[in-house]
Amino acid sequence: MNSIGARTLLEKEVRRFLRVPGQTVLQPLISTSLYFIVFGYSLGGRGSVDGVPYLQFIVPGLVFLGLANNAFLNTSSSVFITKIQGTVVDLLVAPLGPLELLIGFVGGAMARGLLVGILTWLVAMVFTGFEVAHPLLTFVMLVLGAYVFAVLGLLAGVWAEKFEQINFFPTFLLLPLTFLGGVFYSVHTLPEPFRTLSQLNPVVHMVEGLRLGMLGVGSESTLGLVLLAAVAVGATALAWRLLDTGYKLKQ
Amino acid sequence: MLPLEVDTLVKDYKGQRALDGVSLSIREGEIFALLGPNGAGKTTLIGAVCGLVKKTSGRITLFGVDADTGGRQARAQVGLVPQEINFDPFFSVRESLALQLGYYGRPKDPARIDEVLAALKLTEKANAPTRALSGGMKRRLLIGKALVHRPKLVFLDEPTAGVDVELRRDLWAYVQRLKKEGTTVVLTTHYLEEAEALADRVGIIAKGKLVLVDDKQALIQRLGERALKVTFQKPASDAPSVGVLSADRLTFTFVEKPSGPNCAEVLGLLYAKGLPIGDVAMQPATLEDVMLRVLENSRAGPEA
Ligand SMILES: Nc1ncnc2c1ncn2[C@@H]1O[C@H](COP(=O)(O)OP(=O)(O)OP(=O)(O)O)[C@@H](O)[C@H]1O
Ligand SMILES: [Mg+2]
Repeated sequence: MNSIGARTLLEKEVRRFLRVPGQTVLQPLISTSLYFIVFGYSLGGRGSVDGVPYLQFIVPGLVFLGLANNAFLNTSSSVFITKIQGTVVDLLVAPLGPLELLIGFVGGAMARGLLVGILTWLVAMVFTGFEVAHPLLTFVMLVLGAYVFAVLGLLAGVWAEKFEQINFFPTFLLLPLTFLGGVFYSVHTLPEPFRTLSQLNPVVHMVEGLRLGMLGVGSESTLGLVLLAAVAVGATALAWRLLDTGYKLKQ
Repeated sequence: MLPLEVDTLVKDYKGQRALDGVSLSIREGEIFALLGPNGAGKTTLIGAVCGLVKKTSGRITLFGVDADTGGRQARAQVGLVPQEINFDPFFSVRESLALQLGYYGRPKDPARIDEVLAALKLTEKANAPTRALSGGMKRRLLIGKALVHRPKLVFLDEPTAGVDVELRRDLWAYVQRLKKEGTTVVLTTHYLEEAEALADRVGIIAKGKLVLVDDKQALIQRLGERALKVTFQKPASDAPSVGVLSADRLTFTFVEKPSGPNCAEVLGLLYAKGLPIGDVAMQPATLEDVMLRVLENSRAGPEA
């Protein structure tokens, strides 16, 4: 393995988003903070859901939203821009294989996803106080979540030929799934058939898994973890294959 | 060991054949010029070797290793200056070179980067963002990026396109220095005087087929046409039939053919006849007329 090569690409990816922190870190932080203020304070600030104050209830979902979106955006935009700029040539000519490319791109995107997710959490703590029910589960959910969406972003970046195509997945899939994914409400309180339908949304389980980790409430199910792990394996296998064969990267 | 062997390489782009069974060996330490008209397949050939183009069939061996199986390790010894300028506007000149060094698995080496910057006259621009470079400077950076990890085999795909005359000479000197240091160089160019100045061997490719590979000197001698042009002080009464006398009988031109007499013999003939010679000009054989003839022949028949 070319470990210096992988590390160089990873460092480059991190420097790339840190060079425009307003766009890559601050902006997502502000938008999630706004959700927090609008939904948490003005709309539902009074009641409690699943046995915790509403303000606290929405934190895990917002952390997950920031984490997933930014991890995804980082790989998808970086890989896409690399293709458009032609700098993908530098990566293809150099002795960098699927492993090195995955470590570099995905590692950089995870750094951004985790940074935004954890900063969101820290901002929330100012309002709710510090508390982690299951630190290990929380840690695993955060890292695995960042990984999964980073790899999905890489797939989108490789596949996309036009700029609007890299927004396809976040706009048409991730956004609806998150808004319907129990970030702002408990799916258990929904009327049928929505309660059952919600169970088909993988984001519901991921958010609930993180909520269990952070707050210790909700279903004791580990389905979220299992789903993330399954998507991680599938997406990694596909990404490996695409990078190995040079799909849409080589002519 | 040969740095590169290509065996019956074929590349099809959706129904169009870009490389049609190319076989070629590159010798260690030589400068090889790959020439041919636009769309002949030069960039495709280089791309297939460097892992940018997926070949349709054939075999590529880099430093004795099959590129399909051990290509990645072998490619650590290869550098490429792509035809299209590519750069990452986020990074400075120095950072771009440092990244490239890292991609090739080499540890940080600021001294080496300084050396490359100096050799390509980019020291002053070391900390400038790449988007602030002029076209010629970008091309020099591209060359720097291809060489910073000290590859043993370098591909230069039109390295001097859009580069001014003075800089072109500098780059020629630099390529010659690389050769002295033992680097093998494969270059493509549309400036034939560039190939003439640099190359040890020349390959001519047309429509995806390698029509000719030869030693540059031998090629020019074999296929080049040296010409002799004589101007008379007053109209000449008579001239040898091997050449052409102009209508006003003031100039005589002769083109050397491999079968016939050479320029010196013809000039001797003119003196022997006592013609009123005023001025003698020689036009040396150039790669350009070799190229033109080879391409013409390859259109006419299958073999030059
Ligand atoms: N990505 C591609 N898709 C389809 N056809 C291509 C592609 N790249 C090159 N070709 C075709 O393959 C042939 C060879 O192209 P190539 O770029 O290798 O030529 P070249 O010899 O480098 O030409 P030039 O001197 O103009 O750079 C051309 O007919 C070109 O149109
Ligand atoms: Mg070309």
